[in-house]
Amino acid sequence: MEVVKGQTFRYRREKYEVPAEAKEQLKYYVKIKKAILDALKENELTIAQLSEILSLPKHEVVYYLMTLIKYGFVQVGAIDEMDEYYTYKRLK
Amino acid sequence: MHEARSEVEFDALVVGGGIAGCEAALNIANNGYTVLLVEKDLSIGGKMILLSKVFPTLDCGACITTPKVSEIARHTRITILTGSEVGSISESDNHRFKAGIVKHPRYVVDEDCTGCQLCEEACPVNVSDQYQFHLVGRKAAYIPFSIASPRIAAIDMENCTLCGACEKVCPTKCIDFTQEEEHWTVSVKTVVIATGFELFDPLGMPRYGFGLYKNVITSMQMERQLAPTRPFHTVLRPGDGKMPDRIAYVLCTGSRDTSVGNPICSQICCMYSIKQAQLLMGALPMADVTIYYIDIRAFGKGFNEFYEQALGMGVNFVKGKIGKIIEKDNGNLLLRYEDVSTGKLHEAEHDLVVLSVGVLPNKSMQSVFQDLSLLEDTYHFIKQDDPILNPARTSIEGVFVAGTATGPMDIPDSILSAGTASAEAISHIIQSQ
Repeated sequence: MEVVKGQTFRYRREKYEVPAEAKEQLKYYVKIKKAILDALKENELTIAQLSEILSLPKHEVVYYLMTLIKYGFVQVGAIDEMDEYYTYKRLK
Repeated sequence: MHEARSEVEFDALVVGGGIAGCEAALNIANNGYTVLLVEKDLSIGGKMILLSKVFPTLDCGACITTPKVSEIARHTRITILTGSEVGSISESDNHRFKAGIVKHPRYVVDEDCTGCQLCEEACPVNVSDQYQFHLVGRKAAYIPFSIASPRIAAIDMENCTLCGACEKVCPTKCIDFTQEEEHWTVSVKTVVIATGFELFDPLGMPRYGFGLYKNVITSMQMERQLAPTRPFHTVLRPGDGKMPDRIAYVLCTGSRDTSVGNPICSQICCMYSIKQAQLLMGALPMADVTIYYIDIRAFGKGFNEFYEQALGMGVNFVKGKIGKIIEKDNGNLLLRYEDVSTGKLHEAEHDLVVLSVGVLPNKSMQSVFQDLSLLEDTYHFIKQDDPILNPARTSIEGVFVAGTATGPMDIPDSILSAGTASAEAISHIIQSQ
């Protein structure tokens, strides 16, 4: 197969299969990302509230939410009166 | 398909691009000799470049590492191979060594990447970020961290879905999925081993609940949380995103403990924990920080004053050995410990526990030397010919050792050790001419 600069992924795809785990991981991330961003569409929410809405363990919400902050999809909101939990809001 | 390179000659081979390896390479090169620096990771700078601050001066770790790292990167007599491993070293003719090196593909043409991160933005994949100690995600097309050297993207092929999004947006068309392993054979006059250390994995101590209880973290995870390029927006519990206010440090996790096979003191845990405690008191002024210790070993210059400063700031020190950690329903943690001074058992509740993990030997050089015997000490660190009189010499003439490859030590001692190793290496080069 001819290698074209800027499209070398096609060459790799011809020779090697994408690991099934990588595909599953991407699917899961896309699903969680959509669910978090949908949940934050209307309201600012805390991690506990997101966990309840998404039926997802809090530690997973923390991981994905912090990742979405890093990628610029989510912004940090206010902290509660006890200075314990922040709210988070959708940015994009 | 492997690309084989013809034999290349250098005066010195430095294995490991942490602070000791960088210092040794720089010293040798500044004396007029050519150096090949081989680093297994995607960036040089080792563990130090990931630190928030260093003790006891509280200088920014990145700020003092970066100038040195960039000096090495620009040095005309230093060739750096990142993402590469030394597979074999053997003796060859004329008192030289022959080394076989494998350069793993980065899938990016180094010279053409501008570090613009457009590939990173376009990549749809999210995987756990090893440079943030798995607290947050990163892309499959990524620059390891913001001050990585070289600041060049890499493709994580294990997690890449080959969608081509990165290639489409790359302005210099530098992404190259056709790359394969490169095999280098180099001839050198001397070798400096600066392979550093491994951190103890607390999964080996199930009674502390690491991995199971999400609010039990390692000291490197806390180090990242305190760094300017932190994974979270502030210091938070990974279990539920709560700002912690009762933080416990468990010293000697994986050190001075025969039950995990490491009876020796790691020499740095007391001080880095005290440093983190001070930084936490700055980041979370209302938080209580308690350090559970067996002994506080504040032996270096300015260390005891640093410890006293922490005491003055209100850090609570408890001479107690932690037996077990139990998680409560709200994610808080109960620490069962023996008060060493009274012999009585106590329980204390905290909302975040930091395990001050110890230093273990990096055993990656064990099988590298062929027909040559690189001796190890009792604890599997590289054996020094004489720790006092010849601390950089190993059991092989012409092979020297620097930094924590010889045993636990702090950053200033690593740099001093690298100075010794480079002086010995230069002397060996001169003698072999």
